[in-house]
Amino acid sequence: MKIEINNVSHTYDVEVLNNLNLSLSKYKSVAIIGVSGSGKSTLIRMMSGLEKPTSGDIFINDFDVRDDAYKKKIGFVFQSHNLFPHLTLKKNITLVLEKTRGFEKKAAEEIALKNLKLLHLEDQINKLPKNVSGGQAQRASIARALSMNPDIIFLDEPTSSLDPILTHEVLKAIEELRELGKEFVIVTHVMSFARDFADYIIFMYEGKIIEQGLPSILDNPQTRELKEFMEKVR
Amino acid sequence: MNKIFSYIFAILTIAAFVAFVIFRQTSDFSFASFKPYEGLITQSIWNTIYVSLISLLGSLILGFVFYLFSISRFKYFNALTDVFTEIIYGTPLLVLVVVMAFVVGPAFGTFNRNVMGFGALIVYMTPYMKNVYKSAFSSISEEQYMAMDLFGFTPFQRYRYIIIPQVIRILMPPLMNNFSMIIKGSALLSVLSYNELYYSIRVAQSVTFAFVEGYILMWVLYLMITIPLSQATKYIERKWAL
Repeated sequence: MKIEINNVSHTYDVEVLNNLNLSLSKYKSVAIIGVSGSGKSTLIRMMSGLEKPTSGDIFINDFDVRDDAYKKKIGFVFQSHNLFPHLTLKKNITLVLEKTRGFEKKAAEEIALKNLKLLHLEDQINKLPKNVSGGQAQRASIARALSMNPDIIFLDEPTSSLDPILTHEVLKAIEELRELGKEFVIVTHVMSFARDFADYIIFMYEGKIIEQGLPSILDNPQTRELKEFMEKVR
Repeated sequence: MNKIFSYIFAILTIAAFVAFVIFRQTSDFSFASFKPYEGLITQSIWNTIYVSLISLLGSLILGFVFYLFSISRFKYFNALTDVFTEIIYGTPLLVLVVVMAFVVGPAFGTFNRNVMGFGALIVYMTPYMKNVYKSAFSSISEEQYMAMDLFGFTPFQRYRYIIIPQVIRILMPPLMNNFSMIIKGSALLSVLSYNELYYSIRVAQSVTFAFVEGYILMWVLYLMITIPLSQATKYIERKWAL
């Protein structure tokens, strides 16, 4: 995956991202870590084109993230599953495929079924999101993202609203996806997962990238901020 | 099945009460004296439905405009909505009808009182409609809009497949509430001599002197309008949700 971030700043009421620069080319899965409010979620939303930066440019795999064509190349998994609450797990996928990707009903159902099965949800396909567990709903939203056949999947703290058991269940499912050959960007609080899953780590602090590198930086932090962070999350 | 029985028993309870009240009457009631006014009253029922539907449609539109004002980035529009809402909340509908027909209308060169009366009803209901929209649309999270954006739904698809099916269930009960407010409120157009249900019965009463019968007839006729409407709304609610 090629990531080019040039002078990106973003301000809501306060500055969230402060003149960010990043250039990566050979990594398949990148994890973004840091304390709450460090700008991780804002960064991943900008990388996926969900939000526009106040200033600066972002290019992913040579696409300007503002391009509509880019949106068809990516999947996004939100903190809380963000499935459409009035649709069953299956319909959450088929509706999107039929209306926005031009699939026939039957083909859409096949894709939905295949991906829900992949996430071990074959028994839940006709249930509404409110009638399944948080972990199942989050896995369904991963299945929905996968069904769009994206090149890159962005996951924004996919387990932050789950208890430890469900967290394990969802992270295990994400691990299994690595075999699909997709590229991943994930924001996570679970350090052991970041270490195992990612091949590149970005540590953010107060809107800046303070430290970055291979997962080994987690065991041997160079900056005071990452050192303190690792002591806290351990 | 249980539900149906519950309704049957509830209706029987009310019917028993009505029967008791009727049985206890000492004076005779006769609705026969209203027979010659059948045509007038039938026409007035249609007029009541007509004015109510126009007012419903008008206040749905104007209410949506004010809803958009209330969420506008321009502070002036937010303030305008607040001031307007505050004034309407404190205004009796009767006063609004009279002022619209006899003061506002002539100021704009129209002496068509019926039109101004309809307008009064629309204006009166607008803040209530605005609130209906507000509560309905706020139930859809910002993240859902992000997801719709990401998947590339067109504006029509967003409303048709995602937003409306979710809000219709929230929208319908307060909407029905407002609609019955409109139907009952339309009685006040009688001060403009508009031939709606209240007016026609009053006209008949002034000749027959059957006051109590007249009001009972009026009550029953209003229920004949509101009950099928609320049932229809419930049907739409069930059909559209999901």
